Amino acid sequence: MNGLETRGRSRIILWVLLAAALILYGFPFVYLLLTSFKTPLEAIAVPPAVLPTQWTIENYVSALSREGVPAALINSVVTAVISTALSLVLAVPAAYAITRFRTPSGRVFIVAALVTRMVPTIAVGAPLVEIMRNIGLTDTSFGLAIAHTTISLPLSIWLMASFFEAVPDELDEAAKVDGCSRLQALWRVVIPVVTGGVAVTAIFAFLASWNEFLFALLLTSIRAQTTPIVIANFQSQFGLDWGGMTALAAVYSIPVILLTLFLQRHIVAGLTLGAVKG
Amino acid sequence: MASTTQQPPTGAVSETAAAGAGRPVEPPPAASAHRDRSRGRHLSDKGFALALMAPAGAFLAAFVLWPLIRFIVDGFFEISPIAGGSRTFVGFENYVTAFASEAFQNASVRTILYTLIVVTLEFTLGLAIALVFSALGKRSTVFRTIFMYPLMIAPIVAGLLWRFLLIDNFGIVNQLLFEAGILSSPDQINWLSDPNIALFSVAIPDVWLTTSFITLVLFAGLQNIPGDLIEAARIDGARYPRLLFSIIIPLLRPVIAVALIVRGIDAARAFDIILIQTDGGPQGSTTTLSLLIYRTMTRFGEPGLASAMGTVYLLVMLAVAIAAITLIWRPGSAAR
Repeated sequence: MNGLETRGRSRIILWVLLAAALILYGFPFVYLLLTSFKTPLEAIAVPPAVLPTQWTIENYVSALSREGVPAALINSVVTAVISTALSLVLAVPAAYAITRFRTPSGRVFIVAALVTRMVPTIAVGAPLVEIMRNIGLTDTSFGLAIAHTTISLPLSIWLMASFFEAVPDELDEAAKVDGCSRLQALWRVVIPVVTGGVAVTAIFAFLASWNEFLFALLLTSIRAQTTPIVIANFQSQFGLDWGGMTALAAVYSIPVILLTLFLQRHIVAGLTLGAVKG
Repeated sequence: MASTTQQPPTGAVSETAAAGAGRPVEPPPAASAHRDRSRGRHLSDKGFALALMAPAGAFLAAFVLWPLIRFIVDGFFEISPIAGGSRTFVGFENYVTAFASEAFQNASVRTILYTLIVVTLEFTLGLAIALVFSALGKRSTVFRTIFMYPLMIAPIVAGLLWRFLLIDNFGIVNQLLFEAGILSSPDQINWLSDPNIALFSVAIPDVWLTTSFITLVLFAGLQNIPGDLIEAARIDGARYPRLLFSIIIPLLRPVIAVALIVRGIDAARAFDIILIQTDGGPQGSTTTLSLLIYRTMTRFGEPGLASAMGTVYLLVMLAVAIAAITLIWRPGSAAR
């Protein structure tokens, strides 16, 4: 760590502040979990209580056995995996070219990527409906993954560009002096140094797809429908089933939260990799 | 090939690359045997860079630029909402209608307010927490992990969850505030049904969801600040506020720029998180531009008008963001 660490009494105060902030920050999701274990009736009781009086998995059973829910969960996984792969394959070389060669076209490109991030989803989504129909990808996971990649690709390029920026040019130069081609320098020397960055980028690309709503709403109907649409439909379709909604929301959120906890190691490694000094 | 000839010790990277692009120089003889076999030998630096960018560029052209062009063109037509319906060219008529409409003006103001609320809260909280994590050093790892968790949650879930937490008759937030003696009755604050505060309330889940992003990015930036710089400032007797404003924030500027621009854009585009909480209500008080455009397109059946509104929205975001970039961060040309 660098010289930003504190010692002594101020350290204790900071710990207390941090703990308080984290309890506040963590409460919403804990409450969601607790509610999911209440009975459907208790979930909407007035006044509400924090803890269930009677613990039950009734909400989970009913939510997961609803028509379309298992299929939606599978669709979400498939779409997110395709979209993440597509994002990385496209973003890594582009970001490398932008940060290393600093050509005018690179500058134009990163601005274009940025502009893409400013586009309101509906402005791309509405015309995409017809484009997907024309290329036969309406209501398919692949079609939706392409749409999701329009969101994650610009972000991935940005993230990868900042990770590449942190790697000194001397590293590429050294690789080239050792006889690597430019492509080998990227693949064998630079990418291994930024694997942490690639992992972070992959997480963000995966989440962008996993959590996306509007494209899924516009581009899918039955076969490729993802879970966020199903969760949103819980209220209208099944009345005010808050219990079932909290159960499905928990099922949908916990895997990605766990995945991130598991990959935390890589994230921290990626973030501290700037310590590679030439 | 020119890339292989950049002189490592000069350090003037952009200069070397720019000059090297059009001026191939023979590689040192010892290494040339390898290079002869390597791929891309015939490509100039510029060509190599273009080849690496081409796939992403083609993808964005096909699935962002092309739809966008169609969207903008649609703004000049009156379009029947029925599939395959009639299209009539109407020039700027949709733009005139949009600017004259009170709904559009109000939604624009709401979008700006919403963005300011979200970004201000997130940046203040995010920087504070990143600094606390830095101050606590390695032992904060577990807390950092916990703190990141909302980032993983879908906006639609966050919106629904907070709607559930803040809902009028059985929301837990008011109940707990009441039990703590802060509110005199559990329905004293109608977070989502009082038009005066609803825009603020719908922003809460957005802040809850993505402050972690700002923290993550700023924390990463903080780790890259050279320790000796901080030590030197400390030895010179710099107190913490001075350290923060004179050293840390200026050094973090590029990172802060990225974080603020990314989050500002996302907040200005927020859709599902608001839709699921209030559906734009009560009394339209949370109808931001993205909701208004969506509705104009799907529910009111006026794709032409919606496209004109969306085009204005896009152009304004572009103008603001480009101003922000040129003022605080220059992509691809940052000197190192």
